[in-house]
Amino acid sequence: MIWVETVVNGMLLGGLYALVGLGLGYAFGIMKIVNVAQGDFIVAAAFLGVFLVPWTPVHPLLVVVPVAIISFIFGILLQRLMINRVLGQDQIPQILLTFGMAIVLRNGMVELYGANSQSINVGDLRFMGFDFLGLRLGVLPVVILGIAVALFAGLHLWMRHSRMGRIIRATADDYQVVQLSGVDYRRVYGIAMGIAMALSAVAGVLLAMRGSFTPYSGADRLLIAFEVVVIGGLGSFWGMFAGGMILGVTQLVALKLDPSSGLMWGHLMFLLILFLSPNGIAGLVRR
Amino acid sequence: MPLLEVENLDVFYGDFQAVNGVSLSLDEGQTVAIIGANGAGKSTILNAISGINGQKKGSVRFAGEDITRLRADRIARAGMTMVPEGRRLFTSLSVEDNLRMGESAARKGPWTVQEVYALFPRLGELRRVAAGSLSGGQQQMVAIGRALMTNPRVLLCDELSLGLAPAIINDIYRCFDRIRDTGVSIVVIEQNVAQAVTAAGYAYCLLEGRVSLEGATSALAMKDITAAYFGTEKTA
Amino acid sequence: MTDLRPKLAGIAALISAAVLIAAPHVIGEGTLRYVVEIFCVFAFAQSWNFLAGYVGLMSFGQQLFIGLGSYFVFMLSNKLGLNPFWMVPLAFVFSGAFAAIISPLVFRLRDAYFAISIWVIAEIVRLFIAQRDFFGSVSGLPLIATRGMDRGTVSMWTFYCAAIFAFLAVFGLYYLARSRFGLALAAVRDNERTAASIGINVWWTRFAGFVIGCGFTGAAGAVYYMSVFQVQPGGAFDPNWMVIMLFIVIIGGVGTVEGPIIGTAIYFLLRAFFSGTGNLYLLLLGAAAIAVMMVSSKGIWGVLRDRTGIDLFGARRTSGLDTQKKG
Repeated sequence: MIWVETVVNGMLLGGLYALVGLGLGYAFGIMKIVNVAQGDFIVAAAFLGVFLVPWTPVHPLLVVVPVAIISFIFGILLQRLMINRVLGQDQIPQILLTFGMAIVLRNGMVELYGANSQSINVGDLRFMGFDFLGLRLGVLPVVILGIAVALFAGLHLWMRHSRMGRIIRATADDYQVVQLSGVDYRRVYGIAMGIAMALSAVAGVLLAMRGSFTPYSGADRLLIAFEVVVIGGLGSFWGMFAGGMILGVTQLVALKLDPSSGLMWGHLMFLLILFLSPNGIAGLVRR
Repeated sequence: MPLLEVENLDVFYGDFQAVNGVSLSLDEGQTVAIIGANGAGKSTILNAISGINGQKKGSVRFAGEDITRLRADRIARAGMTMVPEGRRLFTSLSVEDNLRMGESAARKGPWTVQEVYALFPRLGELRRVAAGSLSGGQQQMVAIGRALMTNPRVLLCDELSLGLAPAIINDIYRCFDRIRDTGVSIVVIEQNVAQAVTAAGYAYCLLEGRVSLEGATSALAMKDITAAYFGTEKTA
Repeated sequence: MTDLRPKLAGIAALISAAVLIAAPHVIGEGTLRYVVEIFCVFAFAQSWNFLAGYVGLMSFGQQLFIGLGSYFVFMLSNKLGLNPFWMVPLAFVFSGAFAAIISPLVFRLRDAYFAISIWVIAEIVRLFIAQRDFFGSVSGLPLIATRGMDRGTVSMWTFYCAAIFAFLAVFGLYYLARSRFGLALAAVRDNERTAASIGINVWWTRFAGFVIGCGFTGAAGAVYYMSVFQVQPGGAFDPNWMVIMLFIVIIGGVGTVEGPIIGTAIYFLLRAFFSGTGNLYLLLLGAAAIAVMMVSSKGIWGVLRDRTGIDLFGARRTSGLDTQKKG
């Protein structure tokens, strides 16, 4: 029964991992941008959450809202002021630029906050549990999974049915021709990065509520995001969700068997899946 | 005053000069053809005029305004757009979504989704189909429809007949009257000289990036066109 | 007019070799160790430059090979009592072999995904080593074998090892870039399909480049940690190595032999200038990298070269960073 519980808890964690990957995957899918600073932005958002929680009314959980909004705006500015300028035939300048940003962010956070462990205090919610079909589950992890699923589904529906979603998809298909329809692709890229940032920010805040973080956690977050995207299959939305699940379950099962292994088994699972199916899970399904 | 006026246009791809000192003009209500062999520079000119290619010298004036340095999306919103070579539809979008992209130009005019379906009845049945899975002819119709949805004053058409069967090419060119009736002036690029000469009232022939011949299509002799097209020396 | 450069390069190589051979007899031990560090860091940066600019493979995980090379030497020389200096070429082979083994897997990914996948593998190896007492666990390993040897001799041989790598990183790369293999690399990097159509085996060329580049990093890594007589997983497999390598190559410019020389010089100058500020200097490295990328993707050397027309080695590869921006 403990194993079933571990697997279920792994899936709950997996939903959050999927959300961590969603920001990275979205930016890549729309703009072919790999934001190497994504992990550090996730941590920065967590710090922002810690900062804003004292002012958050009703319940600390709601701090995701202001953090998401601020991150959205930041993403637009980042894209339009900096990343748009280095885009071109070659991916290298954009990758190196975001790498530089990661360094600045990480060390800036160390300077500001020190290397100590932090987390977002959600009060009793962190310890509340309930019984479900004979399993003992945490309320917070279930709520977090709910938020992750809602965001995945919400983004999917919005992209499919809204005017802006249509414009973003068209820009992703052909950023040059979309201009002939009167669309400024630079503006669209700004919005897409804003969305990616907002999603990552929510993931960061939720991670901070479930566990703890330091300014150095960014690297681990980036690697998780990256593995989720690749396991799922580059460009596959729901593949990322499956990827997150696989990583989450692997992580928790591994920690039960090998408590000091950190993310090692998750990384190994990533290599295994890469070995078996180079195009990820989506590649298997598409055959 | 011409609606579109291009003066001494030079266009570059990196260090390579593809177009050299080309001048042309389009009056309101006119249809002008640009003909020439592969690589003569026809598409390059349209890419430059529409704003897609920014490496140019010379001047492009649209309705009196200098648009030489303007971005492509601004030009589209000002009323000039292009049906690009090779269709280049948004493959992950449905037919109707492709058409509706034209709405982003935010221009008033007679062209709506319904009007496009009236022009190309086949598209109405295909409205929910992903654009990537259409045949060449159907894709061309969607591409034209998408451009019309911006309610342009000038429509630039790049090689509409490329890769299409003659029957379908005729269908498409037959729609030109209807398009012209709504006040759209057209520039067509064609390798198929007969088609171009039939569709347009005035033609420019391009050879290696320069205008080698121009004139009213009714007045141009096939012999001269052939010489200008291929660059053979005219015998005395 | 025949290009004088190969002849000049040859002369420069001879002079450099003479200087390097003479150095330990003239320079004191402390300075020698500092120079060893400079040489090793330069070798790391140049190997990254080789991989990214010449082979077309950008990696964010080269710390993997620094760690592998150093642990290889430390483990073998400690456990088997072998002279670590003779292990250094073997570290090259070991690191190269490891690269060869992982290449079928990581070559399935492109660009940033390829880059990060190497980082993932670095993390796996780091975590693996950090948990096992056999490898010294988190506290690492000391270099036992050199304890019995004369300090001056050890210092000299370490210097010579580092000097060989620095020498190869300059003149080896120069001649490699001009060789048949170097041209094949350039062809593959610039246009795969065309390269294949003229008979170049794309996969093997890239594979060979990857193996050589990673082997070089590993061997240089071994020398680096030998010079400080101890290695830990956190240090050897530290992702911050990438910050340093990337900074040097970004500032100096990818795809030239001389770029990383300038980048390394600037890096060490900055580090000396900002010593004692802790994290601040890393932050400045990142900010400098951002600034350079925003201004010109060719790096400081690239901009200088364009302005003045100076092309020291003539062995540069246009890496596609020169292409028209779309932003």
